[in-house]
Amino acid sequence: MSEQYPALVVIGPLLCALLVSVAGWLRPRLCLPFALLGLGISAAASTGLLAQVLTSGPVTYRLGGWAPPWGIVYQVDNLNAVVAALVSWVALFNLAASYRAVMTDYPEKIGPFYTLYVLAVTGMLGMVVTGDAFNLYVLLEITSLTGYALIGLGGGRAPLASLNYLFLGTIGASFYLLGVGYLYIVTGSLNMADLAKLLTPLYGSLALLAAFAITLVGLWMKMAFFPLHAWLPNAYGFAPSPAASLLAPLMTKVMVYVMIRVMISVFTVEFILQEVALSQFVVWLAVAAMVAGALLALGQRDLKRMLAYIVVAEVGYMVGGAWLGNKLAMTGAILHIINDAVMTFCVFLAAGCIYQKTRGTAFEDLQGLFKKMPWTMTALAAGALAMIGVPPFCGFFSKWYLIRGGLEAGHWGFVIALLFSSLVNVVLFFRIFEIAFFEPMSHGHGGHEGHGEHGGAVALAEAPLSMLLPLMAAALGLVALGLATGPLVEKIILPIIPAGLG
Amino acid sequence: MKALALAIVALVGGLLISATVDFPDWGDPASPAALHVSPRYIEKTMEDTSVPNIVTSVLADYRGFDTMFETTVVFTAGVACFLLLRRREPRPGPSRVYRHRASGVIVEMSQAPDTEPAPEVFKRIDDDWTPHDLIVMNVCRLLIPFIQLFGLYVIAHGHHSPGGGFQGGVILGASVILLALSWDLRTASLRMREVATGLMSAIGVFIYAGVGALALAMGGNFLDYAALAPILMVDPVAARSLGIFFVEVGVGLAVMATMVLIYKNLASEGRLDQGL
Repeated sequence: MSEQYPALVVIGPLLCALLVSVAGWLRPRLCLPFALLGLGISAAASTGLLAQVLTSGPVTYRLGGWAPPWGIVYQVDNLNAVVAALVSWVALFNLAASYRAVMTDYPEKIGPFYTLYVLAVTGMLGMVVTGDAFNLYVLLEITSLTGYALIGLGGGRAPLASLNYLFLGTIGASFYLLGVGYLYIVTGSLNMADLAKLLTPLYGSLALLAAFAITLVGLWMKMAFFPLHAWLPNAYGFAPSPAASLLAPLMTKVMVYVMIRVMISVFTVEFILQEVALSQFVVWLAVAAMVAGALLALGQRDLKRMLAYIVVAEVGYMVGGAWLGNKLAMTGAILHIINDAVMTFCVFLAAGCIYQKTRGTAFEDLQGLFKKMPWTMTALAAGALAMIGVPPFCGFFSKWYLIRGGLEAGHWGFVIALLFSSLVNVVLFFRIFEIAFFEPMSHGHGGHEGHGEHGGAVALAEAPLSMLLPLMAAALGLVALGLATGPLVEKIILPIIPAGLG
Repeated sequence: MKALALAIVALVGGLLISATVDFPDWGDPASPAALHVSPRYIEKTMEDTSVPNIVTSVLADYRGFDTMFETTVVFTAGVACFLLLRRREPRPGPSRVYRHRASGVIVEMSQAPDTEPAPEVFKRIDDDWTPHDLIVMNVCRLLIPFIQLFGLYVIAHGHHSPGGGFQGGVILGASVILLALSWDLRTASLRMREVATGLMSAIGVFIYAGVGALALAMGGNFLDYAALAPILMVDPVAARSLGIFFVEVGVGLAVMATMVLIYKNLASEGRLDQGL
């Protein structure tokens, strides 16, 4: 069975998504169990796959039994294995937490909601494990399409935000497809490993440069890299909370993974460092992303929107790290993919818990929350400390690698921007804590007008246990990941850093 | 801002066009695309899959995994439309419009009647007083079975001629949409209910992925139709050909049902009572 892990990672959730859809029409009660089964299969298979890759090296899986480059293959090394495990576990925890929110807000549509949810995860996992440039595009379509629908379901301006995302996302995906088309015209291949071989004699050709540029811009658009981030804050700010806490942590991270994969496995670092020579420019863009994301986050008066702008800044960390052009920074970027997924998940899920109870995440809704929802706020505090970069929370370690990478590259702008954005995170989160801890409960929410003058009589109104447990797991995961940084870097990340990096 | 946007468009366009100088010539038989993977498909298709139509064998076998997800994309689009558009609450305004069958007189009731008028006397029509056209209705009714037969032919004949699941499914779906256009949405809904469209689109994709998973259960890789040979009781090459046929049926089912599902939701603003 173990040789089938790469297929099971993607096929398990796909088949279960279809079962969820059927159940949605016939027995809505069964939707969630089928969805849990699908993501459970992929979580188990991706964990097994990671163990297998770590013990016996990269795995190649031929779909349909056809050898590359004629057929499609899944090519799994440490990098995809760890990202696949990350995606499937985070999605599984979020799914477990989503039930109450979905039942409150969309009781009639749980079938289609969970179908699209599981399909979105299928798409992300497929993008992560594939070794075929075109297959990646097909899965990207699935993830995008499900994302538009899940975001458009939210209230308020969500449909407009989703339409915006649809326009920009479609342009981004088309750019990627166009880039793959250019590569196919000049090489005749779609297999990543095969492409890397065939591209070497073509260095210096304008077609190759154009293909690289257009692929990269397309991916940047999908990951909301500044200045192509305009769709993200509204999309993730207005999305229903279970969808926001699925897409915000995972979608941008998967796209950063795809960028790194395209950089190291298709075009190779030699090409990027010597032929493209745009590293300085891209790192400065990343600096702009960090600074702009931080400043724009300062201007928000809503927790979810503030978090969305922090995501924009975080994308800057990872893109900058990947382009600094040395091993330390690349290690930091990959480590940050893992850490940032878990910490973004933690804070967005906490926001979802708050929304579940207060029906709003504007700053006024947060008053007195430390008394009302102590556990949720503790988890939010853990996520905040990780995002700020306080040891032993995981955010510290990836930032440490990124800063050391920046110093080694002599790129002071990157180092300063990273420190600046971390400091802004301090301001952002402590402003929230001040409101939630010191400002008295605004009246009218709980109906406790008679007492509560001193805030002492505020009733405990914690989020349901089904949401709290995954949230606690995420918060503990932040510390666990931080403590596991050593083995994570030594065993998983370092072996796949390309030798061409300085 | 507009000038900046124009400048960027011109710049990107210029880059993309200037890059084409490095492309092989139009129709060049020595281009990489013609020399690298294509020869194997052209020379080995019959031997590998016993399917004369190379496009079908590449689509449904060599790169069948992509096609499975393309079918999933179609399915996803249908589910997304349903999720965003479908509304259970009835249309605002209680008025209902009926046509007296014998005289063609149109009656608009300002309030919904307690009991529906006898359907053989009064036929309910859309609010915008859809015109009654005997010729269009009857010609379409006569055409629809032939269209559907042709759709089935296109699905089944994808091995030998242009066609296959996507095209056949579209033709089948169009036949139901033609019924909705020439009669009305309620008639089409009676022939193909909402639950049926929803279930068929999921089952169609499930057939595709299920054939793949069956191959996996039989000890082959996912979608390796040759592994199905023992249960189909044919040799592995014929099993590939049959496997392609099964997945094409799944694709046809999914595409047909999804087209009808999307049409119904779009045409009736998600209420499935009337429209176009």
